[in-house]
Parts: sequence; structure tokens; C-alpha cells
Amino acid sequence: MNGQELSASITNALADVVKHADELRDLDAALGDGDLGITVSLGAKAVIEALAELPDTANPVEIARTCAAAFADANPSTMAALVAGGLLAGSRLWADKTDVTVADAAAFVTSAAENIGKRGRSQVGDKTILDSLMPAAQALGESPDSGVALDAAIAAAEKGVQDTVSMQSRRGRASWLQERSIGLQDPGATLLWYFLRSWKTSN
Amino acid sequence: MRKIINDPDRFVDEMIEGIVLAHPEKVRLASTDPRVLVRTDAPVKGKVGIVTGGGSGHLPLFKGYVGAGLCSGVAIGNVFSSPSSRQCFEATKAVDGGAGVLYLFGNYGGDVLNFGLAADLAEFDDIETRTVLGRDDVASQPKERSADRRGVAGIFFAFKGAGAAAERGDSLEEVATVAEDIIENTATMGIGLSPTILPTTAKPSFELPDGEMEIGIGIHGEPGIHRGPLETADQIVDRLLPPLIADLSLSSGDSVAVLVNGLGATPLEELYLLYRRVHQLLSEQNISIEKRYIGEYATSLEMAGASLSLLKLNDARKALLDAPADSPFFKEA
Repeated sequence: MNGQELSASITNALADVVKHADELRDLDAALGDGDLGITVSLGAKAVIEALAELPDTANPVEIARTCAAAFADANPSTMAALVAGGLLAGSRLWADKTDVTVADAAAFVTSAAENIGKRGRSQVGDKTILDSLMPAAQALGESPDSGVALDAAIAAAEKGVQDTVSMQSRRGRASWLQERSIGLQDPGATLLWYFLRSWKTSN
Repeated sequence: MRKIINDPDRFVDEMIEGIVLAHPEKVRLASTDPRVLVRTDAPVKGKVGIVTGGGSGHLPLFKGYVGAGLCSGVAIGNVFSSPSSRQCFEATKAVDGGAGVLYLFGNYGGDVLNFGLAADLAEFDDIETRTVLGRDDVASQPKERSADRRGVAGIFFAFKGAGAAAERGDSLEEVATVAEDIIENTATMGIGLSPTILPTTAKPSFELPDGEMEIGIGIHGEPGIHRGPLETADQIVDRLLPPLIADLSLSSGDSVAVLVNGLGATPLEELYLLYRRVHQLLSEQNISIEKRYIGEYATSLEMAGASLSLLKLNDARKALLDAPADSPFFKEA
């Protein structure tokens, strides 16, 4: 996938995932402060606009960096800062690449997940975005065939989301709910799953 | 709400505008963003820049320490909320003189996240950064968990020391080491007597019945470690000082700098009552006070109350405090 293809795929996926903004807001309102819907809708809009400004010759690292800055800037929430930091971390691995493969994507997502875990001081099992992001990264890495890689990542993310339902939140505002958080689906993990699904259906 | 204010939503922007209009020879906006303030001489080529930042509502904390011998720039958030990563990054670019930039701010989640992201953005632009967090509030975590402590008024000592180190031409590594060393040797504890009223919500930040005090309160009204009837000035110091002495392992023959800080609505007179008792107690224990700062250094809008900070001194730290510094809000006596 070259820069132009990557940019178009991101734009299509984001235009699709915002359809779930209200649902994400409701999930977040139950567990946290309900701003995830705004983060997603404002962030997606800002990223789409920023990508449209880039020249067609922009390479993948420039595209990822543009997405990070636009997303963080649109609505400076904790989730926005974590996602943007993850994107920047992942993009470092693409330093001089003009084309990215599934293996590059897997490395990117793994690095992004590690950065989010480090900065958010969280790990898989804490009931955060990492619960779907980490399994998705692993599934991408284990799929040499690009045809099935995305499906494998979506399936892994979906299972990760389902696993969050029985977990107790350990990070962020949701952690204040303590055992009352059990039974609720994590909105951050859900966002990542929906984003992957949108990537598939809209491209 | 008894506040002098125009539009609550314009409170921060108008306050910054006022500062720039009042002190054009000392500070300016870094860009078109109304929330990024830098020294007029920034960037200084070859010297380490120091960027601080955090929520508004704490003047002179953060913005007030942008000046000669202190910080180079500041990213300013809404009242009690973090600046954005973009603002932190704008400040970074504006003060980078090629020798790197130290981020020096308090240990609060949003600030840590946004400065962290700014550091990532800076790295892409080949600007080297280091981060040191103010975490001096001994009431917020015990000694063994000091890395998780809140940053409160004691960060002033780190601004002063790191600023002096940057001014004399220390490297980024050295300036960061100075800041870290000062923070490790600083301890603070505060007392709150009344809540602040947030301009946007017009609601008090916490509830405290009249005639009560909260020991160990944070600068946003975070809960302390003891609540009870208001005591005398001497009794308050008798509660605040011993934990600081213990935390810094001070003993006979040691020397310290003392900061008695007003939280916004407590008059200087009362701060000097506190200082009097601090001086008595430290003298009794043969701990000498080499530097003293009494006034408002980190406030919480109109919260009534005060905090007490000690910095354990050695020759190096004393020399850094002695170096000249000047900002619209801080002048070395």
C-alpha cells in the first residue's frame, strides 16, 4: 500500500466509524465521562481534513504523523493523546518506506499498543483499548497472507472486546466505579474493533 | 459568585492578554495561539530551553515563572485543566535554541500525557527533550511512593534552580539533573480553609464547613489527610512541619530554604505568623534557614489556606537559588 492508498483507506474508514459515535458515547458515559463520542467524531473530521491537505506524494510516515497531530488537536482528551502517541510511535518504524505491507502494519500496531500501554501505564486485562488492540496486533503479525490478515485482526479485536465485559476497570475514570464496572463493555476497546471493521467494509 | 470577570469562557484568554499587555518587555505570545507564552528573548541560541505548563488558576505558578533565570516558555490550559499537546509543542519550538528543551511541570495525568505527546512531536523535529515532574506534596503519597506524589508549590525551587543552570550554560542532561535533584530534596504540605469557585461552573471545588480546616489539601482541592476544627497558626505549623522534616531526613546542622505560600485568599500577615513558628521550630532543632520566600507562589484562585515547603540545601543548590532571576511575578529580593 503506497501513501495515496493508505491515505484513502484511512479517510474511508474514519468516515464510516463516526457512524458509531453515539454508541461509543453511551458506552463511555456508563463507564467514564462520555466524551469518547466527541473525541471520535471531532478527531475523525480533523484527520480527514488534514489528510486532504497533504500532497499526493506524501509517504506513509508523513500520513501517520499528520493523523496523530490532527487527532490530538481536535479534542484534547486522554484517549486522543494516547492514540496520537501510539500513531507517532508506530510511524517511527516506517521511517523511509514508500510502501507498507501487512508486516509493516503489524509492527506499527504493536509499537502503537506498547506506547499506549507505557504512557497510559496499563496492560491487557485493565479493561482499556489495549484489550482489543494487542490481540489485533498479534493477529496481524501472525497472518502472512494479506488477504486474511484484516479478518484475523477483526476477529481478535472482537474477542478482546467481549472479554472486557467481565473485567473490572483498572485505569482512568472508569476505575473509580470499581466492581460496578463489571458487566459493561469497554468503549476504547470497542472503538478499535469498530475502526478495523470500518476499514474492511469501506475499502 | 463574587468574581471580577467578563465572560467565564474567555477568562483564561483575557487574563493572558492582560499579562502580555502589562509586561511587553518581558513576555510575548509564541504564535497566534493565545495560550503559549515565552520570554521575549526566546529562543536563546545554544542554551537549554525550559518549558512548563499546566492548568490556569494557580498564578503565579507556571506563567509567572517565565523570565530571566527561570523558565523560557509556558503552555497554558483552562482553569485546573491541562494545556493541549499542540500548545506544549508550540512552546517547545519557540524556546528551542538548539541545546534541547527541559519539560518541568507538575505530576498530573493530563499534563503528563500532553507533554509526553509534545515530546514525541518534538523528536520528529529533532528537538531533544527531557521531562522532570514536580512531585513534592508529601500528603499525597508516602515516601516509598514519592514518584506518584502531586506537584504543588515546591516546584518553584526547581524552576529557580533549573533556570539558573540553563542560564549558566549547562547541558540539557545537566539542567534535568539539577531539576531532579531539587525535587528529590523538596517537600511540601498544605492546609485549606475554604474552597475556590471555578469561573466556568460557578461552583465550589470542594465542600468544607466554615470553621474547619483540611490538612494536606492539593492545589485543586484534592482531599488531604486530616480534617478538623480550625486551629491556631502555631498549631497548624506544628502539624505541617514535622512531616517535612521527617521526609527530608533533616537533622541538627542541616540548612534549608523555606517557602510559605498563600493559596490565594490568605493575607500575607497570616503567612508571616506561619513563618514565625517555622523559624522558631527549625532554630530549636539547629536547622538553619538560608533562604526564605513568603508570599503567593502557587495559588488556587481564591482558596484560603497556605502551604509550607522546605528544600534541603547544599552548596550547589544554595548557589542556584542565589543566582539572579526576574519575571513579571518574581523578583529576587
